[in-house]
Amino acid sequence: MISLRAMKAALKQQSIHFFVDPQWIIPSIIAPFIFTTVTLFLFRHAGGDLLLYAVLGGGVLGMWGNTIHSSSWSIGYDRMNGTLESIMVTPAPLSSVVFGRCLWNAFLGLLNALAVFIVAHFAFGIDVSVRDPLGFVTALFLTLLSLAVLGMIFGAFYVVTRASSAFFQMLEFPIYVLSGAVFPLVILPEWTRPFSYAIPATWGAEALKISAFTGYDSLSIGLPGALGLTALTTIVYLLISFQLFTYLEKRAKINGTLVRY
Amino acid sequence: MNDGSETVISVKDLTKVYPAARRLLGDGGREKLAVDRVDFEVRRGEIFGLLGPNGAGKTTTIKMLSTLLIPTSGKATVLGLDVVKDAVKLRPRINLVSGGERGLYFRLTGRQNLDFFSDMYRVPRERKKTKVQELLDQVGLSDAADIRVENYSRGMKQRLHLARGLVNDPEMLFLDEPTLGLDPEIARETRALIRELSRKGMTIMLTTHYMFEADELCDRLAIISDGQIKALGSPFSMKESVRNDTVIEVEARDIGEGQRQGLAGLPGVSAVSMEFLEGRQLARMVVEEAGSLIPKVAALLEGRKVISIRVDQPTLEDAYIKMVNGK
Repeated sequence: MISLRAMKAALKQQSIHFFVDPQWIIPSIIAPFIFTTVTLFLFRHAGGDLLLYAVLGGGVLGMWGNTIHSSSWSIGYDRMNGTLESIMVTPAPLSSVVFGRCLWNAFLGLLNALAVFIVAHFAFGIDVSVRDPLGFVTALFLTLLSLAVLGMIFGAFYVVTRASSAFFQMLEFPIYVLSGAVFPLVILPEWTRPFSYAIPATWGAEALKISAFTGYDSLSIGLPGALGLTALTTIVYLLISFQLFTYLEKRAKINGTLVRY
Repeated sequence: MNDGSETVISVKDLTKVYPAARRLLGDGGREKLAVDRVDFEVRRGEIFGLLGPNGAGKTTTIKMLSTLLIPTSGKATVLGLDVVKDAVKLRPRINLVSGGERGLYFRLTGRQNLDFFSDMYRVPRERKKTKVQELLDQVGLSDAADIRVENYSRGMKQRLHLARGLVNDPEMLFLDEPTLGLDPEIARETRALIRELSRKGMTIMLTTHYMFEADELCDRLAIISDGQIKALGSPFSMKESVRNDTVIEVEARDIGEGQRQGLAGLPGVSAVSMEFLEGRQLARMVVEEAGSLIPKVAALLEGRKVISIRVDQPTLEDAYIKMVNGK
């Protein structure tokens, strides 16, 4: 069950929290900015597509860093405030509330990505023009959505245990690598491919690169294929996350763990 | 207010066992029986109280009835709906207010908190703004509506909790220790608000530690201890159960658990409660006949600084102590 009204209210609530709580500036603005700057420094002597590759990598890193911190912490924040039960006693599905918050975080990620391009262009003098702007913007939106959905899955585990934090912080860096955002998938060992293909952000990053670089198509799927797979995996993950919320909410209600912080 | 007509809550053999926590390292503890085959009914318009010591099972019971916990066994219906199978249908018609500092978004204002929860309950959009303002007026927070909750006093937070509990005009309101930690004046105002809600026809179930609160507010009470209901009835009938008893109240210095056990062991003593005041202790014994016991009490406390021994009439609190701790 999905409640659009709960999603909208949660999105609004998250935006208010962002503006009134300075702590969110660190994961949402400062950390992605540092990631991007470091990446651009590392690649500053490279030229052409490789430099743009670094810009894109920095952008995806920023979006993902923002998502994992903000979205997965969504329930953690309710645990901290003691509001998890206040929400769960309402008719609004918790998954809709978390999804609404994730959408705000995705929107912030979009701002991050724009900031990365502006920094790359004006501070490092990098040519950030892309081959297919429409395809690129579509890929960017889908990638953000896919990251938000992944953040939602991580967030679901906070319903049952406050210990999720440490585990998911640990996953932050493997996903940077496995999604192919920073390093091309072809240089990773063969056995890592199934993990990479299972992450929606992998297809999103691929779509971004195909639309940005002339002649790039490392997985031979074309832009429609990459966009389609990003959308498909995102939908699959979204459905999984709704099921996961149902299951984990039930577990929490059996174990009586909703109020622990 | 009790018209005695319709059963709103029906609880049969309700049991909750918290499973032992699963941990990778270390001991996850043992499973805990929190509520043990509880039976009771609440009628429309009643204020029904669950009274008991810490860990008795009050909050667990109220959380099962408000769909926040899944019972291990037994059956509970609220407004004719099963609390597990029909939880989705039930939630729009009930609300829960918990006492304490937490449970609100501290970085948001009072109005923003109510606005958010109105959306969670799908309060009609055209009505939402008016509804939120009415609630703020009702709980006396209009002047502080646009101040962040982190700047609210304890009493203001509790009033906002109550307002949040009313956003959906619930038919059934659960209050978990609604006056916990409030100063006497705010607690009195809160009780007045609860009475007002009851007068308007709302059915209310509350948990409390405070006997006078239960006595003042509740049409009927269940005294719960160790997960089981020890007594069920009106505050009057509970007091009646100790009407033939007497209370010996001893004020003394330097008496502790050993003396309490000694007093409890005297023949004719059915329960002893001990209150630790500044530099002195107050022991209240529910007894069948005071005259013959007073010399035995004095003898048992020989060597202690006894300030006073007096005989009193039993209160609801004495009835409670007798039911929870009695022999």
